[in-house]
Amino acid sequence: MPASYSAGMIKPVYIRAARAICAQETFPQNELPDQLADATNNTLFYKHPEYSKYFTIMQLRRMSRITRTGLVAAIECLADAGIKKPEAIITGTGKGSITDTEKFIRNIQEFKEGTLNPTPFIQSTYNSLNGLISLHHDTSCYNTTFVHRGHSLELALTDAMLLFNEGSIENALVGSFEEISPEHFIIKQKLGYWKKEPVSCKELLAVETPGSIAGEGTFFFVLQKGPEGAMAKLHAMRLLFEPTEEILTEAIKQLLEDHQLSSGDIDLVFLGDNGDIRHKGNYMAVAGMFSNEVHVQGFKQACGEFDTAAGFALWLAVLAAKNQRIYEGLTIRQGNRPSYKNILIYNNYNGQQHSIYLVQQAH
Amino acid sequence: MRTVYVTGVGIVSAIGIGVAANWSALNAMTTGISYSKHLNSVLKNMLPAAEVAATTAELAGIYGDTGNLFPNRVNIMAAIALREAIKNNLVAATAGQFGFINASSVGGMGDVEDIYDALVDPDNHDEKIIPLGETMDCGFGTQELARHFNLTNFIGTISTACSSSANALIFGARLIRNGLLEGVVCGGADTLTRFTLNGFNSLKNIDKNHCRPFDANRNGLNLGEGAAYLVLESDEMLQKTGSKPLAIFSGCCNYNEAFHPTAPSPEGEGAYQAMKGALDLAGLSPEDISYINAHGTATLNNDLAEAFAFHRLFGDQLPVFSSTKCYTGHTLAAAGAIEAVFSVLSLKHQELYPVLNFDTPMPELNLVPLTTVERNIPVKHILSNSFGFGGNNASLLFSRYD
Repeated sequence: MPASYSAGMIKPVYIRAARAICAQETFPQNELPDQLADATNNTLFYKHPEYSKYFTIMQLRRMSRITRTGLVAAIECLADAGIKKPEAIITGTGKGSITDTEKFIRNIQEFKEGTLNPTPFIQSTYNSLNGLISLHHDTSCYNTTFVHRGHSLELALTDAMLLFNEGSIENALVGSFEEISPEHFIIKQKLGYWKKEPVSCKELLAVETPGSIAGEGTFFFVLQKGPEGAMAKLHAMRLLFEPTEEILTEAIKQLLEDHQLSSGDIDLVFLGDNGDIRHKGNYMAVAGMFSNEVHVQGFKQACGEFDTAAGFALWLAVLAAKNQRIYEGLTIRQGNRPSYKNILIYNNYNGQQHSIYLVQQAH
Repeated sequence: MRTVYVTGVGIVSAIGIGVAANWSALNAMTTGISYSKHLNSVLKNMLPAAEVAATTAELAGIYGDTGNLFPNRVNIMAAIALREAIKNNLVAATAGQFGFINASSVGGMGDVEDIYDALVDPDNHDEKIIPLGETMDCGFGTQELARHFNLTNFIGTISTACSSSANALIFGARLIRNGLLEGVVCGGADTLTRFTLNGFNSLKNIDKNHCRPFDANRNGLNLGEGAAYLVLESDEMLQKTGSKPLAIFSGCCNYNEAFHPTAPSPEGEGAYQAMKGALDLAGLSPEDISYINAHGTATLNNDLAEAFAFHRLFGDQLPVFSSTKCYTGHTLAAAGAIEAVFSVLSLKHQELYPVLNFDTPMPELNLVPLTTVERNIPVKHILSNSFGFGGNNASLLFSRYD
């Protein structure tokens, strides 16, 4: 039986700020542009922010790409929330700094285990970004990193919810970070993660072949206990490990019931459909639980597939709740609901980790 | 908040496979540190390490039927320790209600690093090599073990360098305290790798001799490998399983100090706050502590900072303390769980295990760790510390169960 913690055990939390860095120009205005960038060679690479606004050239020289995106996203997310020192820093990442891991493997070979620069080794540790965020903001507090593939971010969010439940914090910085590299693309290509044929993002969800396109993304959120100044409410989550389709749809029904909702109360659904025919069934089944009035959108056609891609959906859901608008370009099924009060996210990563989020308007 | 009991322990380390072997080695003051036989590294004859003597194939033989488990070194080592922890088929008996929180710092890197070039060569389609591409991250092993042992109720993996499995234990305990789970298995596993050996060597903190925790002439750590798991249960779960507690997991704290990417602050602020936080959660005072199983890596920075933290928290009433890393080496992500198992053994047998290779106290503080096995003394409360890169400090508090 997959995980399903009982309702009421864990109180909802509010999202005060949300930031995204990914393949789309999401960072400068904190919104998704109407024109979406397309993949190159089945990969959606980062649109990098202007790092020189944040760091000196000397600092940048010592920072790998994921360290930069992670720090900058965290900095702006905290600034949005008006918080200088978060009371907890919790992240999730499937693979951490792939670049540093690869670099250190290469250095070991190249210098025949001689005198090596420790920087890539240090930055290859999954929690190095957390340490740097804490250093940058001079804040000593609860700090941990979950490395659990498609549940990395969800476990980080759960951990923060536990801290609120324990009454030990007022706010928390929670985020995820992921990158793709040419070498890692090859590793995953051989494992069947990517489509064999080149595909445009516009076609991704329509092509009936196995595999998806690679992506990368960094997403940060400031969570707080109460609704004051919040953008949205993270009402509940469910994490499932390799559920059957029946268990999955049952879990969604149960989640809604636990919060006195029915499928008719949902206005907007985000599906993590990545165009992989092998996982289509789950997404179709979930979409089929909701009437045609409900808007159904995808998000991986904009960010690509990676362990923590659900962070992009959470960012989109927060924006939809706050701004009461959605992006046409992501539509899978056009509904007619005039407002977005209850939003459901369903994502799975490689068929293994399945996540369900219930996000609501804050007020 | 609810009480969390430790009801099972399992361990594989350089001083033995299984709890009994580890227990006798500690009592006999036998170290597991020598030189690696299995590692493919030019450093292996220069830098001592605490290696599990058995080859991966021999470990698989010891385990028996690995079934659906991907048979890399870290998984098999973990499976041996995990099976011991959940003996008497605890998990099946409770219809898969147990969660599983695992920890690792480099996952399956040990089996990957030698074939990495083939793995990333687009023209290499060796069917034996391709699946290893899945094994690099830490979540893979967790998932394999979860499937193998039917621990799929709530699964997670934590990686915070050297404090990883201590944080896994903290997270698991908090899942019980908050009422999300009634039972959870927590721990971690790491194998020796060329990657980590070179990593720590590049930081110039590996001793070319056996490590000397808290000694004035200490000169760094020795790496080790191993796995350890602890079964945690609530009162409600005890009713179902009939388990007899070995100890109470009475307090814990994670505190990350913003000081430096790889070094603690000289005054040990992080260590102090972590220990104090664990005491506060347990509602205990410093004088209640019988013994501290220190992080005690024997690096210049760590031992001094940790000793300053002891001094600040306990003043002149310093409890007995030692580090067991001179037996097992520094097993990175597994260290917190391995030392938690040793802490449980200390409580269960009412005995304390000493440091090895100690000669001269550090001039700055003149603190003397335990140097002989202490038996037949009352051991009531134990603090067990684990500190990782990034300033990540975790302290666990285990109490005697009568």
